[in-house]
Amino acid sequence: MFSRIVSSLEETVICLLLAAATLLVFVEVVLRFGFGIGFMWIEELTLHLSAWMVLFGASYGIKVGSHIGVDTFVKMLPDKLHRLVSLCAVISCLVYCGLFIKGSWVYLEKIHMIGIEMEDLPVPKWLAHSILLLGMVMLAWRLLQLLWEVYTGKVDGFRLADEAKESLHLAQEISGQTVVKGGDTV
Amino acid sequence: MTTAALFFILFLCLFAGMPIAFALGLSSITTILFFSSDSLASIALKFFESQSEHYTLLAIPFFILSSTFLSTGGVATRIINFAIDCVGWIRGGLAMASVLACMIFAAVSGSSPATVAAIGSIVIIGMVKAGYPETMAAGVITNAGTLGILIPPSIVMLVYAAATEESAARLFMAGFLPGLMMGSILMVVIYVVARFKKLPAQPWVGFGNLLRSGFSAGWGLMLIVIVLGSIYGGIASPTEAAAVSAVYAFFIAIFVYRDMGPLKGVVWVEKDESLGNAITRNLRLTVAAMPRSITHPDVRKVLLDSSKVSIMLLFIIGNAMLFAHVLTTERIPHMFAEMIVGWGLPAWGFLIVVNVFLILAGDFMEPSAIILIMAPILLPIARKLGIDPIHLGVIMVVNMEIGMVTPPVGLNLFVMSGITGHNLAWVLKAALPWLSILVIFLILITYFPQISLFLPEYIDHLKGY
Repeated sequence: MFSRIVSSLEETVICLLLAAATLLVFVEVVLRFGFGIGFMWIEELTLHLSAWMVLFGASYGIKVGSHIGVDTFVKMLPDKLHRLVSLCAVISCLVYCGLFIKGSWVYLEKIHMIGIEMEDLPVPKWLAHSILLLGMVMLAWRLLQLLWEVYTGKVDGFRLADEAKESLHLAQEISGQTVVKGGDTV
Repeated sequence: MTTAALFFILFLCLFAGMPIAFALGLSSITTILFFSSDSLASIALKFFESQSEHYTLLAIPFFILSSTFLSTGGVATRIINFAIDCVGWIRGGLAMASVLACMIFAAVSGSSPATVAAIGSIVIIGMVKAGYPETMAAGVITNAGTLGILIPPSIVMLVYAAATEESAARLFMAGFLPGLMMGSILMVVIYVVARFKKLPAQPWVGFGNLLRSGFSAGWGLMLIVIVLGSIYGGIASPTEAAAVSAVYAFFIAIFVYRDMGPLKGVVWVEKDESLGNAITRNLRLTVAAMPRSITHPDVRKVLLDSSKVSIMLLFIIGNAMLFAHVLTTERIPHMFAEMIVGWGLPAWGFLIVVNVFLILAGDFMEPSAIILIMAPILLPIARKLGIDPIHLGVIMVVNMEIGMVTPPVGLNLFVMSGITGHNLAWVLKAALPWLSILVIFLILITYFPQISLFLPEYIDHLKGY
């Protein structure tokens, strides 16, 4: 139940960020061509919305398995070895997160101390950039969950995206409903 | 030493099954920490800037969004009907129509596997019924589907632009003629095969029907016209064109095609309905559906699906920029360039090596990942040998197309095997003769740079440069 609420919250935030970024650029284009006005802050805001989407959503990607990778080789390994390699891979990813958490902490502390604002928006820079730290912490949390799942044998390794499989859903949807005229005009 | 460490860690991480983004990031950070004096904080800043300073990169999520709205069975069916009405009356017409449909759908959807899935699952049954060998139907579509990453707007080209800081607009211009050329070559070969094999032609449907199906497919086609027109004309940047096309695609999918959203399944004109009634009914429905369309689950699903793909790509790109940063600060590409120039390898020889290498790499990894890793290495070498960066981009994209039709990780082969129910070996055998055309095309593209460079240079000329 709790995890469902968290999931739906994550999804809503991601969707809203994408929709907002798209609409902002659209509005900017309309304003420029329709009325000849432009706002500098729109560009900065869209870029940050997109950065927030990516850094906020990276951990969600680990959970639902939308990142891509090469699993051709690990899949050839015997099961036990496969899981061992996966454990090492997850731990390496955690090291990655750890380095970034430390780096972004130091960085955020510095710009917080200097106290500068963003170029066009009246927002403190450390707040706008704080998603880097937040995103990496979330990422580490999801990786720890994955580590546990691999350790207990629930999964073999990373859930990686399979574009071929996703495209086949489209094929199934089509063969369920459409009739083409090419078929019967022999 | 640095180079060896960087690539050793990268490949170790990749082959351990780590997501590509983490593999790129971790190998770069460790190399930076061990071999240079950059601090972790400056790496963090660099990474954030990769997400927040590149306006061109925003085109990626917007194009993905617009293509997700229009990657539906309904849109594919409309495009196919239009293509069959266009060229179906020629001998071998159904196969030619499927190539044409692949080209159009590929441009709209930007994804090769999705094109194969959508067009293939609709057309193949019809082709077999009309007397075409199933191997031919499967082979043609598996290969024609790859045009998705060559014909603009193309996500893979945007990724190349991001990796090399070349102009995305010029790349979009450069991909257009090669895309048309590849489609035409396939159609000509189909015509010749059809003559020999005595394949059937469809009856000519008349201009009325052609106009009708053209009108229906036209809403989708307009997307390509808007995007390419505004970019080629220099009116809008790729990012702006992409945002407009995403909003346009939303309106077309929800309110015109009604393939999804609150109006799904509602017909435009009911039986025995007068024109006036139809207009008022549709107006009322559309206005009533406006607020509901924003929160509709179908729309939410499209948004979520496209943001998942965008996040994955942009996250890789951010890490790839760290990787490229290590490459440049350690002068690794320059080292390779000097080595290769030292060997006395001519430009054409270098391009052969590049082609072979990329085709091999394309067998294991996604096109965008390969481009992000290889483009920053290859480009300085190519520059030194006098090869145009835009030309190199087109060559890389065509190589990636071939990678999608070759095992073990040929996405299009998997999709085709999924739709036809045959095994991979069968699909590969069906695809091979048509794949050889793709290889010949690659050779043409590689050794005649003018095919790619003609349009961008011509547009520059028109603008008076």
